[in-house]
Amino acid sequence: MLRYIYILLIALAFAPPAFAQEKVFNAEYFTLENGMEIVVVPNNRAPVVTHMVWYRVGAADEPPGKSGIAHFLEHLMFKGSLGFGPGEFSKTIRALGGNDNAFTSQDFTAYFQSIASKHLELVMRMEAGRMRGLNPPLKEVDSERKVILEERSQRTDNNPRAKFAEPMAASLFVNHPYGTPIIGWAHEMEGLTWDDAKTFYDKYYGPNNAILVVAGDVTGEDVFELAKKVYGPIPKINLPERTWITSPPLPGSAKVKMEDEGVKQPLVQLATRAPSARQSKQESLALEVLEDILGNGPTSRLYKSIVVEQKLASQASLYYTGNNWDDAQFQIFATPLPGTTADQVKDALKAEIQKVIDNGVTNEELRDAKSRMQDAAIYARDSLTGPAMIIGRALISGSDLDDIEYWPRDIQTVTAKQVQKVASAYLDPNKNQFITGYLLPKEKESVE
Amino acid sequence: MIRIALALLVFITSPAFAQEALLDIKEVKSTGGLTAWLVEDHSVPVIALQFAFKGIGSALDPEDKQGLARLASNTMDEGAGDLESQAFQKELKDNSISLYFNSSRDDFGGTLKTLTKYKGKAFDLLTLALTQPRFDAEPLERMRNSNISRIRSSLSDPEWIAARILNDRAFETHPYAHNSGGTISSLATITPDDLRAFTNYFAKDRLVVSAAGDITEDQLASVLDQLFGHLPETSEVPETANLELQNTGQTFLYKSEIPQTIIEQMQPGIDRKDPDYQTAQVMNFILGSSGFGSRLTEEIREKRGLTYGIYSSLYDLDSIDGLSVSTSTKNESVSEMLRLIKEEWEKIRTEPVEAKELKSAKTYLIGSLPLSLTSTDKIAALLLSLQKSDLPINYLDQREEKIQNMTEDNILQLAKRLLDPDKFVTVLVGQPKGIENVQTIETLPNVE
Repeated sequence: MLRYIYILLIALAFAPPAFAQEKVFNAEYFTLENGMEIVVVPNNRAPVVTHMVWYRVGAADEPPGKSGIAHFLEHLMFKGSLGFGPGEFSKTIRALGGNDNAFTSQDFTAYFQSIASKHLELVMRMEAGRMRGLNPPLKEVDSERKVILEERSQRTDNNPRAKFAEPMAASLFVNHPYGTPIIGWAHEMEGLTWDDAKTFYDKYYGPNNAILVVAGDVTGEDVFELAKKVYGPIPKINLPERTWITSPPLPGSAKVKMEDEGVKQPLVQLATRAPSARQSKQESLALEVLEDILGNGPTSRLYKSIVVEQKLASQASLYYTGNNWDDAQFQIFATPLPGTTADQVKDALKAEIQKVIDNGVTNEELRDAKSRMQDAAIYARDSLTGPAMIIGRALISGSDLDDIEYWPRDIQTVTAKQVQKVASAYLDPNKNQFITGYLLPKEKESVE
Repeated sequence: MIRIALALLVFITSPAFAQEALLDIKEVKSTGGLTAWLVEDHSVPVIALQFAFKGIGSALDPEDKQGLARLASNTMDEGAGDLESQAFQKELKDNSISLYFNSSRDDFGGTLKTLTKYKGKAFDLLTLALTQPRFDAEPLERMRNSNISRIRSSLSDPEWIAARILNDRAFETHPYAHNSGGTISSLATITPDDLRAFTNYFAKDRLVVSAAGDITEDQLASVLDQLFGHLPETSEVPETANLELQNTGQTFLYKSEIPQTIIEQMQPGIDRKDPDYQTAQVMNFILGSSGFGSRLTEEIREKRGLTYGIYSSLYDLDSIDGLSVSTSTKNESVSEMLRLIKEEWEKIRTEPVEAKELKSAKTYLIGSLPLSLTSTDKIAALLLSLQKSDLPINYLDQREEKIQNMTEDNILQLAKRLLDPDKFVTVLVGQPKGIENVQTIETLPNVE
């Protein structure tokens, strides 16, 4: 039984990947005259819908000295808009059996509701109402400022690992807005006012800076007609061009080290910058394949070498943020075992990268990685909000719908040579392109 | 296609109506006498299968082998039959099969997700893991190290520390007080023989299985015999005694140099089989489980800005039931926070909830159910959780009817019976100001 299936699968693997030509989500795309983009992903498994509005503005767009204002504004969006008093937005959604929330990143701010599809128009009207009509009472602004300060304490300052991420980002993105935390620096958050939020809101929240994504039990045409009626009348805003100051090349073999009494398990981190999909699509696809081969799961190169064979660390993981608007991050993490120094682990990680630079990846590794990534695209359809998230995230970062729909086909075009080339161009340890991070217990010895 | 009847909820109180079920759940019986619940859905080529052995959880771990069930769940997918760890994981990965084992205090289980095209391979690999797990020395050592490293990392997480202390004190004298993730010293003593002995608990009389997605009743029936036919009918399992919540009315403090204090409280709860369990769910929704709109969030976050999050939850274990509240606030506000929680407890047990609150809780608890049925594995997980709690196959419909008929007085009577703020076990982690009558915890229990 086992062997029969195995043979069958080998046959499949050599067959041309016809499915790679199919679209992943079969989404539909529209635009309104005021510049708002609309994507609809029909999915009639259940009579529900996810409605998301993505604004192409995030923490990286904040003026100097106002760190945290994008995220503060996201909170204030629930504190009163046309027809809805403070807190009423979420309560109304809840009372109709729906869920809602929002999130802020460096690049974007997104608001979403999941609810029975018959309530789509109401939800749309509510979201449209706060695109231009935000007016929270001032006492709500004051109490919400306390909430975001508590949020910062809870998420960052209570936790050494989260605290350590801040100097790492600041070093990786010297002079660039990505070096400032999304939630903001506490001393600047304390001074954020409604005027600051309103200025930011007026400047960036408008239909021509927004993407609507609707997934669920709807048709593209119906959503488009509804959106024309609800979002269509909102006038365009005068949108400033998005220009961010940039980082200089990394300054050499920089190290960031933090010792903290709360740390009992050391952490080693290698961080560098690499092109995002918007900056360089084909290189980004190659980096995604490299990410899979190096870091995806227990049979990946890093885990196999560092954890299973050399027994230097208990975990090794990696991520590449190809969806960034500006430079992406390529980050590697490992947790040294007792008896191993952080530098031994760092050297072993670098050696694995060096192997890719010197010898490339094998055709088998390449084929298996592509096949897994294409399978992942099929799994991605098995969800209501997942496709809306993937599409919104990619479009807001400058990709177009075809980049997502034909991602399996595009992944298929990546060659072993391209993978080796991006490793050599962006991850070469000899070119001092990594910032090494050490998060260590506050004793003399780093381990034990 | 999943059929979900959302409309006309008010008319379903009479059983005379031929009612369309919320979810079309079929009970599948195999020739070998095994049963599973299935929701068939061929819209995406994905199959999810989940199972659990009831009563086979970490509560059975001997005191000097804490973490045994957890380590079994970590190693059962690390090699089986002729396939050693890396070979087994590679088979899973190359076929994009996701297979995980999991343990809780009361149960041991597994989740399998596969694309239809790899289903034969997926079922074969799961069969192999269940019938011939290898428990080789290398992966056991690796998983042991990984768990110890996880414990060391958790020591930087004040929320984990608070939960550890709460379990230790609220469940004192019971195996539930142990560390289900193991201790640094107990993990070191666990051998392959211990793991094999643990799997001898697995038996048909404790098994529940659910499946969803692209699989028919007949296919599932034969898969059941393949996967579980080999199991013994019954097994010898030690009894776990019932327990009353311990240390009620006591406050425990663990000092930590962080800007906030983490607050965890628990008082006695209600059994899932209690006729008033649904009433407790509705009350808990209004009180604090629902986030935005709940009384705790309104009073403490929205009005006063004292926290980023506050939630209450019903805590159902086989041998004990609790009702807990979790939050965090700056060290200066801890006594105010504890007073406010107590006030909300008093209020809901002395005054009826408002009609509007009850109505919106009902609509949410009924109307939001379809949102949890939007992916294959979510559906399988829901079916499994119903079976784990011995609920009937039409439970979702019964639940809806019961919630629909609930009155303000039902909630008040239940709150009077259930809530008692003098029975809180309270755990504080941080440097709270102005708190008296606390017992200071110097050493974390069951960590080293």
